[in-house]
Amino acid sequence: MPRTLDPRDPYHIDNPARVKAIQLEMRKQGLDVYLGSRIRTLTWTLDAFIPWRSYVVIPAEGPPTLFTFVIDAARLADESWLDEDHVRAYAPMGGMDQISAVSDFIREELRLRKGRLGYEDGMATYTAEGNLTHYEFTRFKEALDGFEFVNAHEIVDSLSIIKDSGTINRFRKASLIVDEGHKAARAALENGGFKGMTEAVIGGIAALAMRRAGSVSEWNFAGLNEISSGYRTGLGACTPPTNKEIRAGEPLMLDFHAMFQLALGDHSHNYLIAPATPRQRWHADNFVALVQAVLANYRAGTTPSMLAQVMMDLAESRDCADFVVPGCEHGIGLFGDEWRIGAKNDGPFPYWTDPDHTYQVDEMVICAMQYACPAEGIGFRYENPLLILEDGCEAMSKYPLAIEEIG
Amino acid sequence: MSETFKYLSPEWAEEGLKRLKTQIPAEKMHNVTTSMSNIYTNCPGGGERYLFIGTEQGVFTRVEVGEGEPPPAEFRIIGEYETFARITRAELGAQRAMMTGKLKLKGNMAKALKLAALADRMNKVLATIPAEY
Repeated sequence: MPRTLDPRDPYHIDNPARVKAIQLEMRKQGLDVYLGSRIRTLTWTLDAFIPWRSYVVIPAEGPPTLFTFVIDAARLADESWLDEDHVRAYAPMGGMDQISAVSDFIREELRLRKGRLGYEDGMATYTAEGNLTHYEFTRFKEALDGFEFVNAHEIVDSLSIIKDSGTINRFRKASLIVDEGHKAARAALENGGFKGMTEAVIGGIAALAMRRAGSVSEWNFAGLNEISSGYRTGLGACTPPTNKEIRAGEPLMLDFHAMFQLALGDHSHNYLIAPATPRQRWHADNFVALVQAVLANYRAGTTPSMLAQVMMDLAESRDCADFVVPGCEHGIGLFGDEWRIGAKNDGPFPYWTDPDHTYQVDEMVICAMQYACPAEGIGFRYENPLLILEDGCEAMSKYPLAIEEIG
Repeated sequence: MSETFKYLSPEWAEEGLKRLKTQIPAEKMHNVTTSMSNIYTNCPGGGERYLFIGTEQGVFTRVEVGEGEPPPAEFRIIGEYETFARITRAELGAQRAMMTGKLKLKGNMAKALKLAALADRMNKVLATIPAEY
């Protein structure tokens, strides 16, 4: 049974309206059919967790059709809002490989023999973006001879940048779930609990607490929870946890991820494992001050470069600019939409954040700040999902901003 | 001695419907309403032929054969005459024929998978018809 969409649900998303918005843009761009392959497109249109290689075919009118790996098709028919006829499988069988299944559907069921086909190409920082591979592109071009292929990912990128209330509520919930992970981690670390504990284990303790609170994933594409301790905190954006033991006198960076109804919780918190030196405390106080200053400046009308300037000016005045990693945010959306800021790919570096993107009300961003001093084996990271408001921002994780000394 | 039917002749189809109706009760077909067209290419003498099978709530209602375009069906399976003939003679498994690309399925595979065992049951019954190929 497909999932019923209930407008009274606080987490409701009007998926059919999203598809119609895509179709309106398709008409404006003269596209006859859209072939989506990125995770962010699948998630945004179908509102289901789709980890396997999949494709969504959006016709000029009517509902989209999902093509997914055969082992997961029945689950997706159950969990997405599409009915069984619009959730298809591909498999290594005659006529059912992914190229044949999708292209036959376009030719025979949509009855399109030629026209303009929107597809998704580009690049990203993480592997699982889902752009059409060169092989897929070549094979689809052969199978759909007569179609003009047009890279059209900006349609979905533009439509998904302003978040609706259901999406915002999902992010609020995902953020509170991450806070439960941080509470569990702190409880496990304090009073000597850290002794003998590895980065991987504290990541697992938080994961269990978050799953008990309603999360279903720690984001497979980001190396799950991201933990570093000791010298590893000074390596910049140190990400996957290791079997390194957490030790007294070292900094500890805990960046926990949760997923609630495809919304991504993402909050980083830092500790100094006692005893901390005055120099470590100085670094920590610098970082907290920088985060406070940047958070105070997020509002509609600001840009990433303006916020970076606020950060760097304060860092200069505190004599810690050498330790500040440039940039203070990354984009965020439902599962698969986790990197650049700005919908149009017109910044100075293609497929990276546009530093002059002007934030609008109801955009979301992850405030992501990093402080790294590899020579002293110390660094910190702050991340928190923010909702951009007219005169400020809503920080969704409510875990108190501080770098405590615990032991 | 039992009567022999020419494979894919109207008489063979009539016998097939009779056997399917009597040997596979509706509950064994999960009371499903569906239809399937097998499209035979490279037939002896040239051209294409089809075998259409339809069920309503698990009861076999139609087994039809013909030349040219088959009636609309939920699933279409396309392959060479000889491939289908080998399956009907139990010389080749239908699954293997699909997995090696000898047969091509058109339709919603997620749905077709649920019916794979049913199709197997049908093939086994049709294979019992004494046939001349």
